[in-house]
Amino acid sequence: MKTEITTESNQMVAKFTGRLDTAAAITTAEDIKPLLNAANTEIVLDCSDLEYISSSGLRIFLTIRKEAAAKGSKVIVKNINADIRQVFVMTGFISLFEIV
Amino acid sequence: MELDLHCQFILEEYLELLPTFNKLKDVVLSSLRNACKSNGLEVTTIEGRIKTEKSLSGKLALKGSKYADLSDITDIFGARIVTYYTDDVDRVAAIIEQTFDIDWDNSVDKRRLHQLDSFGYNSLHYICRMPTKLYSDPDCPRLNTIPFELQIRTTLQHAWAAINHDIGYKTGVEIPSRYLRQMNRLAGMLELADDEFSRIRTEINDYRRRVQQLVQSGKLEDILLDGDTFNSYLQTKPLDMLNKQIAAINQAEIQEVPLNNYLSVFKFFGCKTLRDVNDLITSNSEDAYRLARHQLGSTDIDILSSSIGLQDICIVFILRHGGGKLGLKLLFDELNGESSQNQILADMTFEQASILPFMQK
Repeated sequence: MKTEITTESNQMVAKFTGRLDTAAAITTAEDIKPLLNAANTEIVLDCSDLEYISSSGLRIFLTIRKEAAAKGSKVIVKNINADIRQVFVMTGFISLFEIV
Repeated sequence: MELDLHCQFILEEYLELLPTFNKLKDVVLSSLRNACKSNGLEVTTIEGRIKTEKSLSGKLALKGSKYADLSDITDIFGARIVTYYTDDVDRVAAIIEQTFDIDWDNSVDKRRLHQLDSFGYNSLHYICRMPTKLYSDPDCPRLNTIPFELQIRTTLQHAWAAINHDIGYKTGVEIPSRYLRQMNRLAGMLELADDEFSRIRTEINDYRRRVQQLVQSGKLEDILLDGDTFNSYLQTKPLDMLNKQIAAINQAEIQEVPLNNYLSVFKFFGCKTLRDVNDLITSNSEDAYRLARHQLGSTDIDILSSSIGLQDICIVFILRHGGGKLGLKLLFDELNGESSQNQILADMTFEQASILPFMQK
């Protein structure tokens, strides 16, 4: 599992590659820390190459969302595959995020 | 402008005490903000200013002989509290009376000064001192003896006063009486508007209380569905049991989220009253649980949003009423924004639900 964070003008993009399962979640939670400090910006979670997400992964997404809301930032989840979209629906998380 | 010796002495005292005035300003403003907050009172603005040296010099040049010393000038530091509603002016007044020492001889309620046939600048002014029980600093004993002025007005009174000041003082030309009369007519109109805003607030609060009582008593058929009534209904936690049942499938934790966005969905379903909403929830809860069990049972997902029960109820309702994949897509569009991906989601959800008993009927 790999997480790459890039900063563009008024936007931070986190690109996830691989399977965000329970084992990978520990490293990913560390990797996404710069996103938690971002204020008044747009945070894009690019899931083009994210193959799978577990509950631990959902918790990480939720943490990003909570911190962003507290700091006036906005989170957009981009390019999720059909299986992950289904997980978002099954859990009700679909209405928590702006998904494009 | 040349000041006489007496006025120069007052001005020097002012310059010497400027740090104390600044400290006083900080303490008063933070005391006011804390007091409003702890009394649950929302106001538009709490602001303060310290008279500038230039402004004080001007005042002293005009009427310096009137003041024995600096403490006779009560508005060197002044603060203003601007409220949304006229009722709140009295609430702020009560807070000020409890917080600061009031110089009653010099405090003015201009609302009471107006004759029956006149309108104009309606605001409440207090001359106060900082009580030692609220704040004291041995290095700054004068802080508790300096008088300061507090003004309380509504937002509309503030707007009128600001414009009146701009028109009246900026030009330096005396305003003809016909224009003064027009300004006073506006003051009268704003006073009416202030009273109307207060009346509307009171009526809305009464309405909310009545709705809450009806919801608590279960008389849902009498309550038309709207944003307020739907919120009151949600406060009775009608989905708690279903959500807990669904969470128990995988021993999941539930993340609370607002459910207000489902109002438009229920309206789309044709619900007119809270009874309609409640009946729809009750009659579809069992199948919503079956759908959730079917979807989640084979996974290890142990985190859910509190919208899960309501979302599945809506899915079941649509499918039971022949809404099919298009109905599901419209639901996802309404809840999550329009997207072509919602069609894929609708197709997947339809396939998953198709083997459940309610789809066989």
